Parts: sequence; structure tokens; C-alpha cells
Amino acid sequence: MTDPLPPAAPTALAAEPVGPTVSPPDRPSLPPGRWIRENLFPNARNSILTIFAILVALFAYRGLLNFTFSEERSWIAVRTNLRLMFTQAYPEHQYVRVWVAVGLVLVLAGLSAGIWARWGGVTLKRLMGWLMSGGGLVAVGVLIREPSVLTDAAGESVRDDAGELVRESFAAAMADRWVWWAVALVLFGIGLALWLRFEDLARRTIEIPVAWLVFGLPGLLVASTWVIRYGHYAFADGEFIAEPGELVAMSTRVPWTVMWLLLIGCYGIGRVARNRAIASAQAAAETSDDAEAAGDGVAGEGAPELPRGALAKTRTVVNLAWVLSPFFLYWVVMRDPEIDYAHVFSTMLPMGLAFGVAGSAVLWWLTRSDAGEVGRLAAIGLLLLAAFHWVAAFFGWYSMLQVARIAFLLLAVAGLLAPNFAGVAAQRRRLVGAWLFVVLLVFYGATVINAPSTIETPTDMFIGGFSVTLLVSVLTIMLSFPIGVLLALARTSRQPIFRVLSTVYIEVIRGVPLITLLLFFSGVLPLFLPDGMEIAELAAAILGYTLFSAAYLAENVRGGLQSIRRGQYEAADAVGLTTTQRTGFIILPQSLRVSIPPLVGQVIATFKETSLLAIIGLFDFLRMANSVIPNQSQFLGVRREGLLFISVVYWVVSFAMSKYSQRLEQRVGLGQR
Amino acid sequence: MARAARERSEQERGNGVADKGESTMSTQPAHGDATIAVSDELAARDDMIVCSDVDKWFGDFQALSGITATIKEQEIVVVLGPSGSGKSTWIRCINRLEAHQSGQIIVDGIELTNDLRNIEKIRSEVGMVFQQFNLFPHLTVMDNITLAPIWVRRKSRPEAEELAESLLERVGIPEQAQKFPGQLSGGQQQRVAIARALAMEPRVMLFDEPTSALDPEMIKEVLDVMEELARSGMTMMVVTHEMGFAREVADRIIFMEDGEIVEVGTPHHFFTEPAEERTKLFLSQVL
Amino acid sequence: MSDPRTPNRDASLSTLGTRPPFYRDATVVRWIAQVGTLILVLAAMWFLATEAGDSLRARGANIDFDFISDHIGIKVGWGIDTNPDSGGRALWVGMVNTIRMAAAGIALASVVGVLVGLARLSSNWPLRRLAGVYVEALRNIPLLVQILVYAAVLASLPNVSFGMGPIPGWVHLSNKGLSIPRVFVADGFYQWAVVMLIGGVIARVVFKRLATRREQTGMQTNAGAWATGIVAVFAIVGWWVHPVFGWLGSIFGGLSDAVGAIPQGAVQLVAALAAAAVAAWWIRRFLAQHRTPAGLVRLTDDDWFRMIFAVAAAAIVVLFVAVLWPGLSSWVVNSSSDGLGVLADKFGNGRTGAPIDAMRPDIVQPGNFPNYGPAGLNLPIGFAAVYFGVVFYTAAFIAEIVRGGILAVPKGQSEAAQAVGLRRSTALRRVILPQALRVILPPVGNQYLNLTKNTSLAIAVGYSDLVQIGQTVYNQTGKTLQVMAVWMLFYLACSLTISAAVNFFNIRLRIVER
Repeated sequence: MTDPLPPAAPTALAAEPVGPTVSPPDRPSLPPGRWIRENLFPNARNSILTIFAILVALFAYRGLLNFTFSEERSWIAVRTNLRLMFTQAYPEHQYVRVWVAVGLVLVLAGLSAGIWARWGGVTLKRLMGWLMSGGGLVAVGVLIREPSVLTDAAGESVRDDAGELVRESFAAAMADRWVWWAVALVLFGIGLALWLRFEDLARRTIEIPVAWLVFGLPGLLVASTWVIRYGHYAFADGEFIAEPGELVAMSTRVPWTVMWLLLIGCYGIGRVARNRAIASAQAAAETSDDAEAAGDGVAGEGAPELPRGALAKTRTVVNLAWVLSPFFLYWVVMRDPEIDYAHVFSTMLPMGLAFGVAGSAVLWWLTRSDAGEVGRLAAIGLLLLAAFHWVAAFFGWYSMLQVARIAFLLLAVAGLLAPNFAGVAAQRRRLVGAWLFVVLLVFYGATVINAPSTIETPTDMFIGGFSVTLLVSVLTIMLSFPIGVLLALARTSRQPIFRVLSTVYIEVIRGVPLITLLLFFSGVLPLFLPDGMEIAELAAAILGYTLFSAAYLAENVRGGLQSIRRGQYEAADAVGLTTTQRTGFIILPQSLRVSIPPLVGQVIATFKETSLLAIIGLFDFLRMANSVIPNQSQFLGVRREGLLFISVVYWVVSFAMSKYSQRLEQRVGLGQR
Repeated sequence: MARAARERSEQERGNGVADKGESTMSTQPAHGDATIAVSDELAARDDMIVCSDVDKWFGDFQALSGITATIKEQEIVVVLGPSGSGKSTWIRCINRLEAHQSGQIIVDGIELTNDLRNIEKIRSEVGMVFQQFNLFPHLTVMDNITLAPIWVRRKSRPEAEELAESLLERVGIPEQAQKFPGQLSGGQQQRVAIARALAMEPRVMLFDEPTSALDPEMIKEVLDVMEELARSGMTMMVVTHEMGFAREVADRIIFMEDGEIVEVGTPHHFFTEPAEERTKLFLSQVL
Repeated sequence: MSDPRTPNRDASLSTLGTRPPFYRDATVVRWIAQVGTLILVLAAMWFLATEAGDSLRARGANIDFDFISDHIGIKVGWGIDTNPDSGGRALWVGMVNTIRMAAAGIALASVVGVLVGLARLSSNWPLRRLAGVYVEALRNIPLLVQILVYAAVLASLPNVSFGMGPIPGWVHLSNKGLSIPRVFVADGFYQWAVVMLIGGVIARVVFKRLATRREQTGMQTNAGAWATGIVAVFAIVGWWVHPVFGWLGSIFGGLSDAVGAIPQGAVQLVAALAAAAVAAWWIRRFLAQHRTPAGLVRLTDDDWFRMIFAVAAAAIVVLFVAVLWPGLSSWVVNSSSDGLGVLADKFGNGRTGAPIDAMRPDIVQPGNFPNYGPAGLNLPIGFAAVYFGVVFYTAAFIAEIVRGGILAVPKGQSEAAQAVGLRRSTALRRVILPQALRVILPPVGNQYLNLTKNTSLAIAVGYSDLVQIGQTVYNQTGKTLQVMAVWMLFYLACSLTISAAVNFFNIRLRIVER
């Protein structure tokens, strides 16, 4: 009836539904005149400050506009290179793979959003505020931007005798910008119309679901590509195509439309599943005696909560899919490995079967209820055996497939965890099932990773630009999370050696700049590896990021661990849980929930830090804008446009995540019920 | 023989000699001439908890000194004493939340040592209820209760849930199973905590000031549950300030001060004719 | 009475009064796990180090630090010495550049951060919003991108030309950077600093005396004015009389010789003894903490393991320092001797010039194009880009910390300040900020650390900081690992210094509070 005990580690992050966010009721709106008097010019000092602030804002705004719309800008460089900036030179005829990857992510996003997200709404008042201030900003921008430079028939800028650029008159400039006037009027007009239509109280109580905005705005954008002639610019087979006044190419319009439909469709599916689960839980609650059980007591405002334990299997599957998707998308979808089936059938399959069967037998034996210390000793023996294989690899005593060494190590870890699952058949089966799944993943992964890529690219990396930025961020976060948690546990441990080791590691890593660590991993790491072992540049970079990020994550998790009261440890001890069970069931689920906001902060920081990849010579997002585009013969030296563009992309992603974390913070605060 | 042991003088105690033949028989009185009316029926039962000459230091502060006492099967012992007298430390030593440094603690025949097996065994034999409830706030009441039976007692989930439901029935809150601890009142939380401890089917229950953190109107509901438990034949050791409970329910009362056992006796003896000055002073302050 | 052991006991449990076998003893198991992990970590490090040594030998490179004193012939773009004569000197130039950048950055970032943080809390709506936009815009864009944007924008400034502005002959701004008058430490500075030091000590004594008298008698003593005056007098008089301290040079010279004459192995011995002494002190303290009033030391198994481990660790350190590392002694002796030698030179008798000098910037034309001459203080574009980058980026974070810290002060405090009639600004300065400072200081210290580490992004725009110069050095010499070790030590030292400073002020604040 309830879902399995709270899972340890990452999935605990997918926060359980907690109480709805309640925003404090705001005071009645003031009439505009009074608002301006009270907020802008209440006294002399404040009036000066107001004027100062407005002047600074206008100055900055004007500078940005003049820069953006200057005749010297060649935004065409960015538009032409959009594909390059996001996926580097991924071959055109294989491009469907990119769309499949994006599509899979959107499917998962849609499902998750449908099942979990309780979006809440935006009050009509805020929406109107956004519309009207948006319109106002556009209008002000049109007014303050400097007039354009006159051009002659050949499209050259006109210069006067002194060599200065000649600009059109103010009136002509205003007339030329009629499109922008229209935009400003429409935005402001809609806002004003809504404002006049509704009473003050209604404005503050009517809520527009956020989902409409989140899915609707991209929808509008996608739809507009079918109507508005944004122009068609591209590099096709090295040919530079520039067709202003054309529609965006079919190969862009169609996939984006499909993507949007996928997103919406999956959101709908998730939504329906959620509603059905809620309905059936309510029905069950009405028929059963204790009506209180399912409703969870907090229903009433906003969307009803997903009942505990409902859709447990679906949620587990979606969570797992999220965790595995980056690996699958990178190594399978994007890379299109050429699998050597002879090798698979001769080696990998038998070996995997052997590990699966033998490992299951070992684990089944280790989880007997009377395994006791013999079991523990056997597990330690397994660990020593696994370690020995690595030592042998270092000295080159005998050869062994790397995947076998990894499988041995994983089996030893599973064996050490086994005593926690001893006894009841259901739990033993669960452990064995998990083991078989891990074996499948490891051997499939090894096969795929070792298979050569069939993507033909001019560089040795088949993706680049934003996709590398994203890949490195995601892998870094996922890999550093378990390490960070272990480090945090060690640092708060009562065992002095664990504590000292962890503290030294964390403090040393936090004491040095990331760039030195990256230079170490990209430049010097190969020296430390035994002969014959190589590490790809990207893998080395990810390793560097992971070890760096783990130290910071550990500090965030430590904050959460320290917030757990001693009584929780004692109560867990008193009912007889083992240390592992205590950590996994009691301590981590609570402390991770507390550390969610700083953890999201760390995710943002990691995302921003991936820009350092450009320094160590990888083709990431920043490198595309900073070095690749300015070196193209068509766009020599065009750097600032690209930098501004990527700044905007970085900003949007980081800002969205930080807003999300603020929402989480509020929810976590309320979640302490 | 029991009488002889009880009449050992105070000076003999704490000299580090753990003479098992005598000291495990019964609690030593603080004063040689104190008569303790422990019924013969009680004295004839098996020993459940045996402490002999237990010492415990925190740094250079001695929290327990020479604690020697025996608690019989199905006996209800209430430990009284001013705050800081070592009562809590003592019962926390009995399920090894704290490790004692010298002397011997034997619970149901198992000695508390560093032996992992013994610790494991003790933890499932001894239930503990805390002053601050210490329920797991991220789990429902049902999960709080079934966690240990499933993962420690190796019960199947349906079995554990059935047990949990019957225990919730017993402590009087069967309808709260799907709520989170934070949604319950203090008294309800403490009753859940008792159910959680009982779910391990312990042979001994330890209560560490179970009502001290409760509002007055909730104290009774918890005490009722404890009384019911006492009547059912559970061995209980209770640290509390509830004199009424001590008078009504206890078989014996142990009075502690400064980490030592000052006086032991039946409730009648204790409340009507205490032998020790310190006991009298304490009683005059609390009654 | 019956035996407490009832007959149906589980036979696997240990019987009364016996020790369990070691693999069941909780303490022993814990220590085995710990020592096992330690051995694993050390073994892994040993493996890696061996591999690195082998790989380097295979490439014909050795692990030595000769490049520090050897001539390696690199040029540094900007710094105290653009033609360093050795690798060590080059790295030193880089360190000075990093420290300059960090110090200047911390100063400006603090000011901007506090101002923006206060603006975020202003009652003035446009100002509040403007500060909000600043914070949200800057902290969500990667610092490296910001630095590159500044560099790209600054690179579009005009070329250097004769008679250029904004103030010809005083301030020049071009795509080569900013050139302004330079004030620099000249010959007699160190002697003059000694004079100032003496003046400072005297001023402090006088200040304390006067302050005490004021507290006792209540009369106005102008302690601050007196102290400032004394320092000023010393500074002015010292300008001419400072050569009298030239004799300090020979003292440092003598010390340098004396240190250089310390016999081989002495330092090793001292270090080994120090390690042993630390271990002994730790054990003494440990035992003292566990001493009971009765004089008995009650030790658990765990305590014993701790002590054994401490002794073993100390023994290993002693062995390492005293036996396996013979180079330690000569290294320490030589470098301290060299350091004292440098001081001796700075105080040398021949230095009688003015302590501080200044020069105006100039523009020269050595080849085809005019360029800044060496006279002025030339701040290259890279400097400005990194400086603006780290300052404005860090300021955004500091602003949020300041805002949070002020919001953390209970509202009653500002109400109370208003109630006793303090003006808003006075209340902020005297009541709110001092309390907020306690909350603010530790995270701001963290930001200072981040700023210092972030200056290493200078490598992207070619500002000659430690990392950039280090990279040049190891590209030239192949001593990658050694340079990285220098980086690590330098940045760890910076981190420790900043944490120590922050902790110092934190403790002071707490004492003031009481």
C-alpha cells in the first residue's frame, strides 16, 4: 500500500510532495498616482535617489540597446552558427539523432511535470504588471536608442566630410521603428485592458496557471516560425547561405514543432495519470472507514496532492530514466556506436551471465539470516579480491577486461551491503534483482563505450558547444553527488581517521582554484596512469570537475547532516538499525532535504564553471563564441555578439534554476510538518 | 542470603569488587538498616537487568559511580532524582546508547560489551522511549513503526503492518497511521514512540522522562498507556518526575543523586518513611 | 538466587566477562576499517606517484626544483620585473601580480558589494530594483564569460598615439590599457619603514595613556590627534634621517651568514624533535582530559587506539623527516639564508635616497607604433578585464550576503534605535551593521577566498598572474608537476591567510559583543 522505504541517495532529491506554498495576501493596490508619490518621491532625499537610479538605469539600457542594434554588429554570425554553437559539426544526415535526444529529454520532462509539479499560478495582477512594464520598456527603448546610421544604395554607411557617421533625424528614426511601437502598444494595451476589466480584488485573486505560460510561450514561438519570415541563414556543406526575408528552414521548423507537441503530449499523459491516481485514492478513502487517510489533510487550496505511494512504480521508472538518460543519450543516441557482435557473443554475454548468476548466488548466500560475521568476512574477502585485481592491473601481472574488475568491485560493495537485506525472501530478491540490473547496465555500458563511434566529424569530438557544456555539467553533478555524500558522512563521522582524511581532501580542493585542477587533469594526469591506460581529454576534464565539485557538495551536505538532531541517531540505534540502515533510511533523507537549496546552488555553480573548459582547449559553448566564430573567414573578429548571446543563454538557464531553488526553499521550509 | 546482601554497608560499595554471587541478587540499599519490602514473590523471579558496580565518565566528570542494582522480570522500577543525577545516563547505558567504562551490565543474560552480536541482540530486546519522542519526521506513523520490524526483525511488510495496526490500537490512535509525526500532538507522538518501541517485541522497556516534554493535558494519555503496559507484564524501567505514577505503578523506586544510588525501596517505604536525608530533601522539594 | 543466564540463551553470544573475538569487537572493527582505508589511500597515492616518476624518467625529466634558480629566459607581460632572471623570480612576479589583483579586488568588491546590498534594502523603489537587476544579472553569468566580454569591449578602444588623453601627460587610456602616474618604493624605503614603525609604537603608547586619562578624568585629551601627529612627525623627520638605520643591513647580513653556517642535519633534527614533541603534547593533553578527580585515568579501547595511532603517525613523520628526506635541511637553511641576504641588501648602507618616488607616464615609439613607456603605472587591458570581472561578480554575491545579514538582525533593533531618537543612517551604522557584521563576516570571507582563486582566470586574457606565468614556465622547462606544487602551496597559503584574518576579526567581534 505504501511505496518502499525512502530510497537512499539521489532519488530522495525528487522531493516528496510537501505543503502548498502560501503567499501572504498583499495589501490592496494603490492607485498609480499615489503609488508613484509614495514609492518614488516621498521626500527630497528619496526623490534624488529615484532620479539617480532612473538615470543610471536609462544609461545602461541605452548602452545595451545601442550596442545590440548598432550597424557594426553582425548578428548574422550568431544566427548562422547556431547549430555550431549547440552541437558543433554534427553531420547533417545524422542530425535526427540530436532531435531524438532532445525529444527523449522532453518526454521525461513532460511526464515529470505532469506527475509531480504543482505549478501554482501567477496572479492576474503580476501578469498585467509584466505586460505593461514590458510594453513600457520597449517604448522607452525605442525613444532612447540613438538614430540609425544612413546607408547609401550599396548598403554602405554614409560618412560626412570629417569622416563621422551620418545618422537619420530623430523623427525619421521614430517613424522607422513602427514595428517596435506596435509591439509596445500591443503589450501595454493588453495589460491595460485587463487592468480596466477587472476589479482590484479580482486582479489579485484570479490566477493564470504557470503551466500555460511555461508551455504556451514556447508554443507561440514555434508557431511563429511557420508565419514570420525570420530569415534563413546556415552553413550547409561549407556553403554560407544567407536569405533574409525567408522562412526558417523546414529542417528547423518541423522538428521544433514535433518537440513541442511531444512535450505537451507527455505533460498531458502525466497529468491524466496523476488525476486518476488522485481520484482512485479519494474513492478508496470514501469507501474505507478512515476518510482522513488519503486526503492528507492539506487538500483544499491549489491542486490536490498526489497521495502517498500512488504511482510508485511509474515514479521509480521515471526517476531511473532521468538518472540513466545522460549516459544513454551521449553514448548510444548521439554516438551511434558500432557494436562488435562477435565480441559480444563470445565474451561480454557469457561474462555478464556468469557475473549475474554467480553474483546472485553469492548475494543470496550472504543474505541468509544466519550469515552473521561469516558473511561479513566473506564480503571483505570479495573486496580484497576486487582490490587485488586493480593492483595486478597496475603491475601488469595478468590481463583482465576492465569491465570484469569493475564488476568484481561492485559485487564486493553489494556483498558489504548484503547484511542489511538479510532474512526475508522479499528483501533478498530485491537485492538480487538490483544486482542483475547493475550487471546488465555495466556490461551493456562497457560494450557501448568500447564500441567505436560511427559519427563522421572533422574533429575528434563529435559533439561540441552547448551540448558539451550540458554533458559536463550533468555528469559532474551526477558523479560528484555520491562522492560528496560519502565525504560529508566521513567528515561528520566520529572515527578520527575518516574525519581527518575527508577534511584534508575537502580543504585542499577548496583551497586551490578550479583552473589549476583542470590544468592538472588535462595535462598531467596521463603521467600518473600506468602504461597502456589512456584517458580521453573530456573524461579527464569531467574527472577534474567531479573531484572539485564533490568537495563543495560535501560541505553543503554536511550542513544538512549537522542540522539532524542527535535524537534521530539515538532513536535509530535504539530500534536496532545498522549504521548503513540508519544512514540510508533516517539520516540522509532528512539531511538531503535540508540541503536542497545549497545543492541547487552548487548545480548552478557547476554549470557556470563548465565555461573553464574553453581554457583547457575543449570546444565548449564559450569556446565557440570566443574563438571558433571569430576565426571563420566570413566573420573574422566577430566576438562580442557571440559572447553576448552565450551570456544570455547562460543567464536564462542559471536564473531559471535559481528561481526554482527559491521555490524549493519555501516549500522545504513549509515541509517541516 | 538476599537480606545479607542488602545489608552490606555503603562503605563496601564502590571498592571495585564485583562479587557476582552476591551483588547480582538484588539492589543494595544505601543504608545498612534500611528495610526494603520487596515481596518474596518478586524476589523469586528471574533477573532481567543486572548492573554491578557500573562507572561512567564524561571526560573528567563522573556521571555514574558504582551503580549496582538488579531488576527482576516483569518488575516496574521508577528512577527518581534531581536533574543531573545520572538517571538518564544510566538507562541509556542499559541499551548501550552510552558505553559504560567499568563494571558489568547484563540484560536478560547478555552482557553489554563491545561484541557486535551482543549489541545487536540487546537493541532488539530493549525498547526505549525518549523524552523528545525522536520520531522520524520524514516517515509516516506507519512507516515509523514498521521500519525496524521489517529491517531488523526481518518481518514481511504485511506482517509488520498488521502488528503496527494492533499496536496503534493498543496505544489508542489507530486512525493516525498515515499521518506524519509533525501532524500529531505531543501526547500522540509519544504514544507512537511507545508503539514503535513495542513493535520490536522487546523484553524490557526503558522510558527516559517520557512525559517531561508534554503539555500537562497530554501527560495522562501517555501515563495511561504506560500503566496498561505495566499491567500486561512488561519489565519496565522508568525515569520520570511523575510522583503519582511512581506511587501507583512502581514495584520499586530507586533514588539517585550525583551518579550514585542513594536509596531503594517500595513506593510505600519511599514516600512515607525515607531513610536518607537527601531523599527527604528531594521529596520535600517535589511534593 | 538463580544464575542470571537463563538456559535457553543463544550460544553464539559471548559469555559473561570475556572479550569477543576481534572481528566482532565493535572498536576493533572500526579501527580496522579506518586503518584499512588509510592504507588504501596511501597505497593509491604511492602507486600514482611511482607511475608519475616512471613516466617522467622515461621522458628524461627529473623531479627537481632546479628551474627555480636556473635562468629560463621568459618574458613577463606585466609586473615588478618583466625580465625575470630565473624561474623562481618569474613565479614570484606572478605571485605579486595575483596578490595585487586579489587585494585591490577585495577592497573594491567590498565597497561595491556593501553599497549594492544596502541599495537592495533601500526604501526607494527604483534603487532597490536597480540593485536587484545588478545582482541577478551578474551572478548568473559565468565569470569567465564576463571577463572575456570586458576584454572584448576594452580591446575596441583606440590605439596609442602621442598626445592622447583623457589627460595628456597624466592619464592615458587606449587598447593597451590605462597609464597613470606611478608612485613606487625607492632606495631608502626600508629604513624609513623602521622609523615609521618606531613612530607607530610611540604613538600607540601615547594614545593609550591619553585614552586612559580621558576615561578616568573625563577631560578632553584628543588622543587620536596626538597619535596621528606623532606618526606624521616621524614620517617627515624620517624622510631625511632614515639612513641612520643603515646598520640594520649588516645585522641581517650577519644573521644570513649565521643561518647559512647551520650544520647539515640540524634542521632535520629539530623538525623530527618538533614532530615528536607535538605527539607527546597531544597525548599529555589527551590523558589530562581523561583524568578523573580520583587520579585514575579511565581509558576505553577506543582511547587506546587513538593514542597508539598518534604515536605511530608521529613515528612515521619522524622517520620521514629525519631519515628519508636529507634534502630538507639544506633547503630550509639555504632559503632562510637567502631571504635574510635579501633583507640585508635592502637595508644596505649605500641606500640613502628618498624612500618613495613618483613618475609621470610617458609615450614612446621604439618601432613603428607608439606605445606606453616604462615610467608610468601601466595597467594592461587584461588587468582591467580581470579586475572588473572579479570585482563586479564577487560584489553581487557580497551584496546578497550583506542583505541577508541585515535582514537577520531582529526588527526590534531598528525600532529600538528609532525609539531612542537615532537617525536612520546613524542607526544603520551604530546599531544594525555591527550586529549584521557577525552574520556577514564568515560568508564574506568565503567570497574573498573565491575572489582570490578566481583571479586565476586571468589566464584567459593574458594577464600575468601566477597561473599564467606558471604555465609559461612549465611549457618552457617541462617541470609541470613542480609548478603545480608551487601553485597549490601558494593558493593554500592565501586561503589560510584569509581564513585566519576572517577568524581573527570574527573572534574580536564576539569579544566586543560581550
